[in-house]
Amino acid sequence: MRAGVFLCECGGNISGVVEMEPLAAHARTLDGVVEVAIDQFMCGTEGRAMIEKAVEDRGLDRLVIASCSQRFQGPTFDRIARELKLGENAVAFANIREGCSFVHRHEPERAQEKARKIVAAAVARARHQSDLPRRRTFLSRSALVVGGGVAGMAAAEELAAAGIDVHLVEREQSLGGYMAKLAKTFPTEDCAMCSLAPRLTSTALNGHIHIHTLTDVEEISGPPGEFRVTLRHHPRFVTEACVGCGECVAVCPVHYPSSYEEGIAERTAIYRPFANAVPSTFAVEKKGWSPCKSACAVHTSAQGYIALVAAGRFEDAYRVASGPNPFPSVCGRVCTALCEAACARGSVDEPIAIAALKRFVADTVGPTLPVRPASMVHPEPVAIVGAGPAGLTCARDLAHLGYKVTLFEAQPVAGGMLRTGIPDYRLPHDVIEREIGQVLALGPELRLGQRAGVDFTIDGLFEEGYGAVYLATGLQKSAEVDLPGGELEGVLRAVEMLRELNLGGTPEVGERVVVIGGGDVALDAARSVIRLQNAAGYEPDVTLVCPDARLRLPTNATQMKEAREEGLDLEFLMQPLEILGTSHVTGIKLRRREPNASDRRQPVPVQGSGLELAADTVVVAVGRTLVDDFARGCDGLELKDGQIRIDRDTMMTTREGVFAGGDAASVGLHTAIEAIAAGRRGGAAIHDFLRGTQLMPKCEQRPPRARPTAEEPAAVETCRRIPLAVIDGPGRRTGWREVRRVYSAQEAVAEAQRCLNCAVCSECGCCVRACPSGAIDWDQTEIVEELSVGAVILATGHKQFDAARKTPLGYGRHANILTQGQLSRLLSAAGPTAGELCRPSDGAVPRRIFMLQCVGSRDVTSSGNQHCSAVCCLFATLNASLIKQQYPDAEVTIGYTDLRAPGKAHEEYYRLVQERGVRYVRGRVGEILEEKDGSLRVRLEDTMTGRKQEGVYDLVVLSAGLEASDGTRDIARVAGVQTGAGGFIREYHPKLAPVDTQRAGMFVAGTAQGPKSIPDSIAQAKAAAARVVAMLSSGYTMTAAQVAAGDPEICIACGVCVDACPQMAVHLTTGTDAHSVVDPNICRGCGICAAECPTGAMQLGRYSDAEVLAEATV
Amino acid sequence: MTTATEAAEVGTGMAGGERSIVAFCCRECAYAAADTSANARTSLPPSVRLILLPCTGRVSPLHLLSALAEGADGVMVAGCLEGQCHYREGNFNAIDRVTFVQRLLESVGVEPERCRMFTMSAGEPPRFVAAVKEMDRVVGALPPLTRCAAGADPSATAVGAGDTAPGTRVGAARRSAGPALVAPGGEH
Repeated sequence: MRAGVFLCECGGNISGVVEMEPLAAHARTLDGVVEVAIDQFMCGTEGRAMIEKAVEDRGLDRLVIASCSQRFQGPTFDRIARELKLGENAVAFANIREGCSFVHRHEPERAQEKARKIVAAAVARARHQSDLPRRRTFLSRSALVVGGGVAGMAAAEELAAAGIDVHLVEREQSLGGYMAKLAKTFPTEDCAMCSLAPRLTSTALNGHIHIHTLTDVEEISGPPGEFRVTLRHHPRFVTEACVGCGECVAVCPVHYPSSYEEGIAERTAIYRPFANAVPSTFAVEKKGWSPCKSACAVHTSAQGYIALVAAGRFEDAYRVASGPNPFPSVCGRVCTALCEAACARGSVDEPIAIAALKRFVADTVGPTLPVRPASMVHPEPVAIVGAGPAGLTCARDLAHLGYKVTLFEAQPVAGGMLRTGIPDYRLPHDVIEREIGQVLALGPELRLGQRAGVDFTIDGLFEEGYGAVYLATGLQKSAEVDLPGGELEGVLRAVEMLRELNLGGTPEVGERVVVIGGGDVALDAARSVIRLQNAAGYEPDVTLVCPDARLRLPTNATQMKEAREEGLDLEFLMQPLEILGTSHVTGIKLRRREPNASDRRQPVPVQGSGLELAADTVVVAVGRTLVDDFARGCDGLELKDGQIRIDRDTMMTTREGVFAGGDAASVGLHTAIEAIAAGRRGGAAIHDFLRGTQLMPKCEQRPPRARPTAEEPAAVETCRRIPLAVIDGPGRRTGWREVRRVYSAQEAVAEAQRCLNCAVCSECGCCVRACPSGAIDWDQTEIVEELSVGAVILATGHKQFDAARKTPLGYGRHANILTQGQLSRLLSAAGPTAGELCRPSDGAVPRRIFMLQCVGSRDVTSSGNQHCSAVCCLFATLNASLIKQQYPDAEVTIGYTDLRAPGKAHEEYYRLVQERGVRYVRGRVGEILEEKDGSLRVRLEDTMTGRKQEGVYDLVVLSAGLEASDGTRDIARVAGVQTGAGGFIREYHPKLAPVDTQRAGMFVAGTAQGPKSIPDSIAQAKAAAARVVAMLSSGYTMTAAQVAAGDPEICIACGVCVDACPQMAVHLTTGTDAHSVVDPNICRGCGICAAECPTGAMQLGRYSDAEVLAEATV
Repeated sequence: MTTATEAAEVGTGMAGGERSIVAFCCRECAYAAADTSANARTSLPPSVRLILLPCTGRVSPLHLLSALAEGADGVMVAGCLEGQCHYREGNFNAIDRVTFVQRLLESVGVEPERCRMFTMSAGEPPRFVAAVKEMDRVVGALPPLTRCAAGADPSATAVGAGDTAPGTRVGAARRSAGPALVAPGGEH
């Protein structure tokens, strides 16, 4: 070390107490000191010249400056050293003025001794000082502004004016923030939208501002100057082709509480919050698929047709119900209706009667709509074997796609199990025949009585020129009866018995009948037998013996109830052992079983519980099997476990060009709707195959299932399902008339109105058809975008305190209690009542109005916030003034804690409003009670007089305070900035750095920082913009010398420094040589990490352990 | 103007010769308060020598113990008021370390009051002056700190800094309520 010690007299401030020459003499004796000089003012030009000369002449590499506090002249001498090319850390300071001469004026001897010590400490320190690297960082001349309210827009416009590109990110559908909701603003009483709308327009038109609405900031990483920002754009489902005409709103059947209108009015699922919204494009709110749509095998938008029924638009409803399903009338009767099991309304009271509504729509509208034949587009004919639900659905889809389709059916009628398996009383034949007729009207040809493998072969179809074959032959035979005595006379098979019945025959049954089974077929057989016995003149005597504890899905409880009403005996947990009799059935031997604790589906037999049941007929309904005739003459087709083997992704069998579906190839439930779904997949697969496109998986990816939040159902008033009329039980036995009646139009609308609109958008498709510019695009998905920006301004705003948290005030329970925000919407000329004040319960104009201040503000209880929300006193004063001017007869009372009007012209405004007749009462409200007529009894303690008062008011308005918005809480987490009380973002220094956050390059503006008025928000936004401009104007920045750095050789990667760093500037590398790395762009040089480091690997520039110890231990 | 009595008062409390106290001061508060009080020519006991740090969170037990081992009779740390650290919680870290060093001193028979933490804001020069005077008074009333030479009998009541690991971590003391006296450089 070659150090020079420069002693400053400070014009006598130092030399008046400390003698300089002896001090210099002592300094000369110190190790490493090669030069000592004294000057009157070392910080002046002479002093500087002296230092320069000494550095040059004596080859100094360290400067020890003994003068005033480093906090005053430190930067001056650091700059001199830098200019003399001595590096970043060449100066050591000896504070002999504030640290010595100023404070020991009366003890010069001891001051002299202390000065010697201070200089010696600085020299000792200088020995350990070494140059520190600084890095040049490029600054991206762009900024991210989070939050598109009035503060965010003001900041963005200011930055744009400075030529900085701004990405303005807004979570909501439109810019505007909270100000867009206000009727007027205080203290001028000018219309809020009138001053906001020009700002919205100019922001939208500004070429430097890129607006991202419906967008969340997901991540901010990297150093200031080049932050990497990840944005997630949520789909708007409306493209820029939207011209803002609003045709879509007119046809949307969904009505949902509008958050823009503070919940006092409804909006449609496709919407624009207000007329001046920016961008002016509409948006669809879609939460995913409703539970009913997700549960349906063909994903019929049940919410869609329910919403349309509720709106009385039955024809549109039919279009939605029949879109993916050619058999809405059938499914409205026999579907297992998993949609109803999934329905969210079930958690409130009862699920919506979805099937009954579908039946209503299909029965009412279906017969009236003509079907036009589809045009043939493709040359390849397609053969479909089996005209059941799967085959007919496949035929319809292929006909729509433009194929010539031929259906081959072995039975004399089409419809499969729907026609031959389900009796008339549950599904009338004319209903299924009508819907089959609608499929055939599209063009498919139906050939009846054609059995594959007997009357024709699959190989033969290909020879005839068919391009593809779809096998949907179903399971047409009862499973073998695996019981002794199964061959006796009087034992019937359910499938065959029902087929005979449905084809017009009359199966012979005895007087005492036992049906064995536990599914739909068993129940259908049993209920048919009751009717057959009745027709034969017997008293119905049918026992259904079910081996399990309950009937299997898909049989539902309603059907079982109906069967019991008709006189059916149901015996559960009965295992049939043997059918008794010599030539004809005489009875059945059974054994009781009991539920098995370990496996509910496998009950165990009870020993010694055998019993016999007399019977002359036994109907066996224990499963169906494949009739595999078609396999003859179909080379290469493989069967497996009694089903056709298919590829689950492509629906193709092992024979190329032959596809299969329905019960014959199903893995799932053998239900009608599953068969229809299989038919749809088959049609799509055949289309892919014939068009030569890749055989893509036919099991589509489902969007997320939309569920109402936990609070939503809780807020719904209960209202049970509208009951469906049925013919009375004994009356039903006498004939085959349909048991269940159909809803009347009035009942259907009432039932449909119970829907909770789980997914908001019901995907009914009405807007898509109504849009004249084709702007609605349901295929939009979330897009993740990455940006690089130089600086960030957080202007994410506030939200209104949830007044329902103050339970005694009754908000949310009593209809006529509003918040100031809601009142503001009522008073707004563009609001739901066009500016008319009317109270929610009866629409009457309130005469006596009470406003309560400090709801959730200045509140030390746990349900409120401690802070003052700053704007509520004037907000209430404004709204009171507006009411008083519009309704001079109205009496408005404001109950306040302390009236605070400190802003410019605010006190004057308050006095003016007082003169207008608004009454101010200083008081505390205990509770608010609702009277019978909806008016409200307010109990108040006047805190001026101490007297208790009570008053009855028509309307109560709560001044709910401000707290950090969800967006503010989220961005604080994402950006890694600190928050304080109420969740507001903390500024770096409450006075000196009011718009900086503790992260360099990130600034805060508006109510994200704390409650404030509109002008204050804008002022702060412009201040934040100025900070960004100052930061980015040079184009680059140098990192500080005083930053922490870890020595990778010593570091043990314990991560203590990572946790300790308040700026999140430290991270650990991975791998075998893992160690800590400090980002010098982020580090602010506090040294906490260095103190925390257990190994000494982490050191702070200018304040390393060696430097501090050298100075401390002299 | 400082009176003669004040000067005399400043000089009192020194029993058995000059004491030496090292004060580690945060740049944002204590050091700024020191500058302000000095500019008003407020007299201070000369025993206290200031060392500037960016934050008291930079102070490690190594610094405190080394200063005591190498000649100081007392050490003080002067940081920002609780909750006003410019780097979130650096002053709390310092409070933990001072507490740790006090317990360590006590365990080897040295008076724990030789190490003290003070908090203040930049706008409170009197608080700084009071802290310095308090430290001077307390340490001045104690006998001079005796030390054994490096490598001497470790059982003697003395402080040796040679075996102290830098930056011993005691942050857990604040976060968990119980005492967390950790041997420097030991397992923790």
